[in-house]
Amino acid sequence: MIDESHAGRSYPPTEPYQVTAVKIAEFAAAIGDHNPAYGGDAPIAPPTFAAVIAGRAWEALWDDEELGLQLRRIVHGDQRISFRRPLRAGDTVTATLTIDKVRTRGAVDMINSSVLLATVDGEEVGTASSTFLHNREED
Amino acid sequence: MATSTMPAVGDQLPAFSTRITRETLVRYAGASGDFNPIHFSAYHAERLGLPGVIAHGMLTLATALRAVTDWAEDPARVINCFTRFTKPVLVPDDDDGAELTVTGKITKLVDDIATVQLDVRCGEDKVLGMATAEVRVG
Repeated sequence: MIDESHAGRSYPPTEPYQVTAVKIAEFAAAIGDHNPAYGGDAPIAPPTFAAVIAGRAWEALWDDEELGLQLRRIVHGDQRISFRRPLRAGDTVTATLTIDKVRTRGAVDMINSSVLLATVDGEEVGTASSTFLHNREED
Repeated sequence: MATSTMPAVGDQLPAFSTRITRETLVRYAGASGDFNPIHFSAYHAERLGLPGVIAHGMLTLATALRAVTDWAEDPARVINCFTRFTKPVLVPDDDDGAELTVTGKITKLVDDIATVQLDVRCGEDKVLGMATAEVRVG
């Protein structure tokens, strides 16, 4: 079960994710956003596209058996995304997750994590910091 | 953003409303890769103590940020955003779904960075807490 001692745990970078114009267009359509910057010859990604890539790193949390987390018992508490620059079509990006803090209140685990997004060339693009609330299975 | 004038504290962003249906949730799940079943399965949502299927928090945030990027015109100007997901957006399985109304105003302007405070409501309920975005306006 997850507890305070897991603060500081990091996971290896995710497999490189290629940001493509097609995926940006699909995502922009899904959020109903027709900003021209998300189309054309050199599209950038909507700010929250960062979560598409960060989400691949979040999977490390759900998949870490030692933590005992189940995705269907997770609720997103808060989210921050900070950018050095927008994600662009053509970027190849990895996501590296660190557990920053864990608190347990009753049956709820509060997990603060941060995901660093960086290109495979080592350029830092941004950080997605989240609080997840995990509702423990009742005994 | 008005191209010739700098924004000022107190300026309101153009407000808008949009509708989120189950179809929107399916589309977002596929596009984002977030397949948490509480966003499409009433069974799983209710097992977690929710009254029904709820929208992805990130979809609500993405909707809210549209007020900012429409205003800023160039989304690359957004350098930071934050929200608490304070109240779930229930999305009924019908034609109407849930309607979100987004308003925003500039609460801070330091150097060339404007802070926009966003208010996102579903009916009367405020669904995001402390939702803000920082935008380069210079």
